[in-house]
Amino acid sequence: MSGGIARGRLAEERKAWRKNHPHGFVARPETQPDGSVNLMTWHCTLPGKAGTDWEGGYFPLAIHFSEDYPSKPPKCKFPPNFFHPNVYPSGTVCLSILNEDSGWRPAITVKQILIGIQELLDAPNAADPAQSDAYQMFIQDRDEYKRRVRQQAKLYPPPV
Amino acid sequence: MSQAEDAATPQAEKQEQKPAEGVHINVKVKSQDGNEVFFRIKKNTQFRKLMTAYCQRQSVEADAIAFLFDGRRLRADQTPEELEMEDGDEIDAMLHQTGGAS
Repeated sequence: MSGGIARGRLAEERKAWRKNHPHGFVARPETQPDGSVNLMTWHCTLPGKAGTDWEGGYFPLAIHFSEDYPSKPPKCKFPPNFFHPNVYPSGTVCLSILNEDSGWRPAITVKQILIGIQELLDAPNAADPAQSDAYQMFIQDRDEYKRRVRQQAKLYPPPV
Repeated sequence: MSQAEDAATPQAEKQEQKPAEGVHINVKVKSQDGNEVFFRIKKNTQFRKLMTAYCQRQSVEADAIAFLFDGRRLRADQTPEELEMEDGDEIDAMLHQTGGAS
């Protein structure tokens, strides 16, 4: 059964993450109100890269896995209206490695996904926009764009 | 890489103990620059001991570093048992910093 495969893989991913993960990142399966763990949805935090306008922000990201994972990629979502050219207004991240028809491979780990998205923050792809707000500003007024990015980083302060 | 103290538990009483695996766990504290320090601690020992030892080793004030497990800050009075920590778990050590304080 594919659901068994997905859960087995996710349990492994979580085990590996607990023992070793990039500093400052968080990735943990959702705990439901009754205290049980839902491996199919993870709540994550990814820090903005040092030396970029994203630095200082600790951005919340939810990862939703389907029963077809890892044959199919998970869906990764920032909060709605997250400011980035390659993030849909819904918050869904548009990235090649998360696209079934493009860069997704079943061997890609949660760690690789999170590092890939951190990378995307400061390296947007203007050729494939997912929202007009950040895209327009990115190509028309780079200073204002950078200001908005720094402002957004302040909305998500460090956990300590 | 260094082992922390705390290994002085007498071997004799193990029969009366609950499961033997419940006594000690190894945890890793990783700093921003990737430096790793390993600690062997009892599951019911408060983190205070680990925190103090770590800060001493790094030669920083005891309150200069925040310890995060799964994104949540460890308190000195908590124990690994309380947080359901497992052998091999990794803790992130974050330096406190304040922007624009110059």
